[in-house]
Amino acid sequence: MYFVLTALRGGPLHGHAISKSIKELSSGRVQPSVGTLYGILERLNERGVIAVDREETVNGRNRRYFRITDEGQALVEAEARRMQEAASLVLRPTTFAPLGSRPTA
Amino acid sequence: MTALERRYRRLLLAYPRQYRVAHGDELLDVLLDSATPGQSSPVLREAWGLLRGGVRTRITHQARGSAWADGLHLGITAVSAANLAALLPYTGSLPPWTLLSALALLAVMRGWVWPALALTFATGVKAVAIAGGWPLLDLTLLPVYPSALSDRPLFETSSPVVVAASYGVALSGLAVLIWRRHRPRVRSWWWFAAAVVASWAGPSWLPDKTWFPISLSKMAVEVAALGLAVAGAYLARDPRWALAAGIYLLVTSGDLGLHADDLTRQHLAYWGVLIVLTLATAFAPYRQRRHCLD
Repeated sequence: MYFVLTALRGGPLHGHAISKSIKELSSGRVQPSVGTLYGILERLNERGVIAVDREETVNGRNRRYFRITDEGQALVEAEARRMQEAASLVLRPTTFAPLGSRPTA
Repeated sequence: MTALERRYRRLLLAYPRQYRVAHGDELLDVLLDSATPGQSSPVLREAWGLLRGGVRTRITHQARGSAWADGLHLGITAVSAANLAALLPYTGSLPPWTLLSALALLAVMRGWVWPALALTFATGVKAVAIAGGWPLLDLTLLPVYPSALSDRPLFETSSPVVVAASYGVALSGLAVLIWRRHRPRVRSWWWFAAAVVASWAGPSWLPDKTWFPISLSKMAVEVAALGLAVAGAYLARDPRWALAAGIYLLVTSGDLGLHADDLTRQHLAYWGVLIVLTLATAFAPYRQRRHCLD
C-alpha cells in the first residue's frame, strides 16, 4: 500500500504503470502480482485514499487511471514520518551511556 | 484469442461475475502487458495472485448492505439447509415433504421471504408431528425408514421440542425480515450441495453403540462453512458471519444438549470445534490493525 501511494504521488497512473513504478521505487524488491495489486487498489479506493481520475479505452479494453487524494497524501506522509523516526532510533549516532555506567544521584 | 489470454480468462473466473464484467478486461490488459513475448502459460505468481484476489473479492463483496439483516438471512439459510439435510435420506418415504423442504430452502436462498415462511411452516409442522409421533396433515407410517444415505429412522435420536426449535428459529428469522421489510440477497446454489453432502450418514467415526451419531460428512460441511465464515469475518472485518454462525450453533446445540448425558469425547470435541469456530467469527472482525490502511 505504501508503495502504491508513493507511486501515485507523481500523478495519475493506470494499473500497469503503477506496477512498473513500484518495481522501480523498490529497486525490484517489491513486485505485487496483478491480483494483489488490484486488491490493494480497490481497498484504497473504497477508503477514499485514492480515487479514479479518468477512464480510457485502449485496444477495446477499459483502463482506469488512479490518483491519490488529499487524505491519501496525508496518510502516506504520516507513514513516511513514522518510519523515519523509527529508523533514526537505529541509524543516528548513539548518545546513551551504557546502563551500568550511569551516574547516580 | 491467444492461449495465454484464454488461460488468464479462466483464472479470472475466481472473481465474482459482477467484478469480472466491470474490471476483468482491465486486469487482463495488465496481465498481457506484463507477459514476456511468446509466453503461453500464466506465471505461477500471477495465477496464485488472481486466485487469492478473486476469493478475497468474493468475500468482501458479501459484506455489503445491512450486516444484521444479511447475517440473519445467512443463518436462516444454513438452518434451512440443515432441515433439508435431515429429511433427504427419507425422500423415498416422504417425497412431498422433502420436496416442500427443498422448495423452502430454494425460497430462502432466492430471498422470497413470504413463500419461504409458508413452506418452512408447513414442513416444520409435519416434521414436528413425525418427531412426536402425532398423525397430522397426512397419514405417515412411523417410524419412517431410512435409505442408503442413513441407517436410522427419521428423528429417532431427536425430540419434537428440538425439531420445533430448529424450524422455529428459521420462522422467527423470516418473520423479522418480513417485519423490517428487508429484501435478502440471493444465495449460492452451493447450499443445495451442502445439504446433500450433510445428509449422508457415513463415513462412521463414532463408536457403533453410540445413541447419537454424527456423520463425518455433516461435520466436514459444517467445518468448511464455518471456516469460510471465519475467513469472511477476518478479511471484511464484519460481524454478519458471527450472527449467522451463532444462529446455526444455537440450533445444532439443541440436539447435543438433549443428549448431554450420552455424549462421548468425540461428541464434545465436535461441539468444541463448532463453538471455537463460531467464537472466531465473533472476534475476527476486531483483530488488531497492522497499519493505518489494514
